[in-house]
Amino acid sequence: MTTSSRGLLAALIVAAPVLVGITHAMLAAFGLTGLAGIEPGWGRAHAVLTDVTTWRSLAWSLWAAAASTVLAFAGAVLIASLFRSSSRTDALARALATLPLAVPHVAAAFVGLLILGQSGVLARISYAFGWIATPADFPALVYDPAGTAFIMTLAAKELPFLALIAFSLLASETDRLEETARSLGAGPLEVFRHVTFPLLWRGLLPATVAVFVFVFGTYEAAAMLGPSRPTPLPVLAMERYAGASLAQRADAFVLSLLALVLALAAVAAHELLRRRRWEVAG
Amino acid sequence: MTLGSARTPLRSLLLTGLGILAVAPLLLLLITSISRSWFWPALLPVPSADSWAALIAGTSGGRLSGAALNSLALALATGLLASALSLPLGRALAGLRGWRRSLGAGAAFLPVAAPPIALGIGLQFTFLTLGLGGSFMGVLLAHLVPALGYATLYFLGVFAVYDDRLEDEARTLGASPTQVFRRVTLPRLGRPLLEAALLGFLVSWAQVPLTILVGQGLVPTLAVEVLGLVQSGQDALAATGSLLLIIPAIFMLMAAALAIRRVEAVPV
Repeated sequence: MTTSSRGLLAALIVAAPVLVGITHAMLAAFGLTGLAGIEPGWGRAHAVLTDVTTWRSLAWSLWAAAASTVLAFAGAVLIASLFRSSSRTDALARALATLPLAVPHVAAAFVGLLILGQSGVLARISYAFGWIATPADFPALVYDPAGTAFIMTLAAKELPFLALIAFSLLASETDRLEETARSLGAGPLEVFRHVTFPLLWRGLLPATVAVFVFVFGTYEAAAMLGPSRPTPLPVLAMERYAGASLAQRADAFVLSLLALVLALAAVAAHELLRRRRWEVAG
Repeated sequence: MTLGSARTPLRSLLLTGLGILAVAPLLLLLITSISRSWFWPALLPVPSADSWAALIAGTSGGRLSGAALNSLALALATGLLASALSLPLGRALAGLRGWRRSLGAGAAFLPVAAPPIALGIGLQFTFLTLGLGGSFMGVLLAHLVPALGYATLYFLGVFAVYDDRLEDEARTLGASPTQVFRRVTLPRLGRPLLEAALLGFLVSWAQVPLTILVGQGLVPTLAVEVLGLVQSGQDALAATGSLLLIIPAIFMLMAAALAIRRVEAVPV
């Protein structure tokens, strides 16, 4: 077997379960799996795709993923550029920033609930200071349509991952270029604007796409912190799948396909960005 | 000086923030786990060791300790299998060039990017057909899907910079392929294998939707139990469960820190 066909076989093996899942979801969405009660044809797909609930859910999930990704990205860039030396303080800051990486999402979401809920820690502290009188006075950050608590929790949860990559980018690629810019007379802010930041954001792009699609697809945090109107897409898919009627099950397959198509687009974007980075670097 | 004179106060502020972000969740979970009732607007709860006692005595917390053992077995098996299988897969992918390389890396990224809920819904029928629905083996295989993606991406990164001239040299000196693998390749890849296993462990350990969909509620795991406890308002037990989830994961991560840095494109 040639190197090339061995590689493509490996690609097929690792992607096979997803391809099987997509195929089955497609067949089921169009009523072709022979399950009694689902009419073959475009009926369910058409019904789901013309239902405004679907698009509100998708829009919410896209918004929440975009907002948390932007926040995590900004935080990672800030922390990585401020704590990049080999001093003890900086090493401590980097260690602290990466620690929450290991916290499973379900635990992170629970902590978000305990801190940001209307009878949570922040609300109790606000009461102690006399700023609010009852839990209802505290702004609704959890289950709110804007997804504030979800966004803040996921941003905090994904920041360590982006920060970790930013640390390694700054440790390896940028030193020489910054030195050159400085020797050519650039001030600290100019070096950051024209050298450090461009290198950092380009280097972080593939990982940022990964964070976006990951937050978009996360189920447990959305179920614990997200609103019920609109329902986050992963939660809507689970609700329909667990629903009583077979028609609802078919809806779940259509929604899953929608999510998988978005993931495919993210994979394509990820590879494109990574390739471009290699070309630039090489 | 990168950002001029505003740097020092900003640094102190951020360092404090990072410290709080790292420590406060653990502290809050610890306090919640030893609470009996925590009425508004008390800043601290009425303390009680109930949830921990229940965990040890195996009463209402017994579900939690059983689930934790299940999680541990699943995560260890997922980690070991993912590590062993991803080595040849990642190595084969690293041999690709040009557009094929992008296709290969994309294929490994696909199970990582696919929303687990969509993956679970798409795969459940296949698992049922194979008689794996609601079984430990089924959940293990389901966890293996994303874990294999993560670990293969990791080994793709390892082999992208791997120098196989040492293996060639051993062959030249008369070693058989088996000897080369046992005496040269395996010792060199010991650390990556361990790190890939830790990655797989973490993926399985935190997994929720695939466990619910493929396990059909018959394979309780710690992460799923915690979700249920939070949703039914049993905060003290949920906090105890969360701590059981977080503490081993942090130890694992410390060991795997290097692995994740190399994978580059994968949030855990």
